[in-house]
Amino acid sequence: MLRQVKPRNARSKRALEKREPKAIENPKTCLFLRGNSCSQVVQDAMNDFFSMRQPLSKKFTKKNPIHPFEDAASIEFFSEKNDASLFVFGSTQKKRPHALTFIRTFGHKVLDMLELYLDQESYRSITQFKTKKFAIGMRPMVLFAGSAFESPVPNEYTLAKSFFMDFFRGETADKIDVEGLQYIVSIAAEDTTGEGDAKPAIHLRVYLISTKRSGQKLPRVEVEEIGPRMDLRVGRMKEADEAMLKEAMRKARGTEEKTKKNVSMDSMGDKLGRVHLGKQDLSQLQTRKMKGLKRSHDDAAEPEDIVEVDDSKRARK
Amino acid sequence: MALPISKPKLPVVVDKPTPYTFDLGNLLAEDPNPVILDRSAIDQSLAEIARDGAQSLINQLLTTCPLQSTSDGVLLTLPAPATRLPREKPVPQPKPPTKWERFAAKKGIKAKTREQRRNLAYDEESGEWKRKWGYKGLNKKGEDDWLVEVDPKKEAARKEGTSIRADGRRERVERIKRNERKMRKNQRDAAEKMGKKA
Repeated sequence: MLRQVKPRNARSKRALEKREPKAIENPKTCLFLRGNSCSQVVQDAMNDFFSMRQPLSKKFTKKNPIHPFEDAASIEFFSEKNDASLFVFGSTQKKRPHALTFIRTFGHKVLDMLELYLDQESYRSITQFKTKKFAIGMRPMVLFAGSAFESPVPNEYTLAKSFFMDFFRGETADKIDVEGLQYIVSIAAEDTTGEGDAKPAIHLRVYLISTKRSGQKLPRVEVEEIGPRMDLRVGRMKEADEAMLKEAMRKARGTEEKTKKNVSMDSMGDKLGRVHLGKQDLSQLQTRKMKGLKRSHDDAAEPEDIVEVDDSKRARK
Repeated sequence: MALPISKPKLPVVVDKPTPYTFDLGNLLAEDPNPVILDRSAIDQSLAEIARDGAQSLINQLLTTCPLQSTSDGVLLTLPAPATRLPREKPVPQPKPPTKWERFAAKKGIKAKTREQRRNLAYDEESGEWKRKWGYKGLNKKGEDDWLVEVDPKKEAARKEGTSIRADGRRERVERIKRNERKMRKNQRDAAEKMGKKA
């Protein structure tokens, strides 16, 4: 637990206020840490991830004797100290070679963790691709391919999807420049085969997008790999505590959109509106004007009519 | 249109057995089709999957999102993200109401309007608009009169070392101190209540 600091001046007060819980949150800061032993491959991979999340990431290079799955206290300390809630922890052990642990925190407490083992042979870093790179801070488009990510029960793959979404989301904005759609992160996993022990690898590829004129309204898209190229096998995971996750998924009051009454969207994306009219007053309805229907004639004729109707009713009885 | 006939139109439509699902707010596309990789050319098949995904995502973005061209470029308005991700920190708790706020709510007292809060009031005596507080404020009225009426009985009971001249100021300072005491108590109570919740 960090010492509670009382702000002594306006600047430090503002800095502390920035860290307070907010209804609409700032983008998550990602912290990159390494364990006591961390292979060059993992370090390179972490560098790649670091550069892909550039303005929102921090990297520490010192060795940390941390084992997140055994004791996450230091992670929580780092989270509080740096106001970070997303961690990538790299380590290499004989039993767990080239491991990248993705950790998420909620309120400076560990929410969930996922360990991914990097395949050393197929790994290529960004620098090994001699191509044009995307500009810093661009939001990538993300593609998840494979039915493994669609699993209704939470497993390693859905957790990985959630982690990668959080990681590549960056700064959310409701408006985006079309020019800014520069690259796509494609995360694919083959389908799980029948036996439970062989879990398919997650293939992470990053491509630069180029658009060509197709002669139609929409452009033809071509991709060019810019790296990194990673094949990741899933390892251990720690699922989120149910109560904690529920708290983390809560929406702040007032941020939810107000539902507009009587306006709906159908499955085709067309907007439908329902209009309520009051009851129509038919007595004021203008019918066809004729000389015989003039009011002055009506008044004279009415009493007689009523009598006639009454007579006919009696006759029927 | 004089399009060269020799150049065939490039295909822009992606055809897959299961359609993609999109979360345009997160710039996300999901391809639920099973991934079948050619072991001899894994990267080639992955690139194909990525191209199809990118094509359909861009198609979806350009067809469904309203475009707006400005001097900075063409802007796409994205819908709100559909997939919820966990928050970083808990939802902030609303501050508990102060004692005055609770009392005002009970009595139905409305907060003062902007006009009422304005530091300007009409002074009937001088027939001028004056500040309610602050420099030459109306709350200091009569403090520097050159002649003050003295009640001899009260003057006899007066504490040693005080004079009628500073009475107004003393009262004012006392009121301020009292208000600060109340403020501190409210803050203390609020901190205690917030601490209990967390």
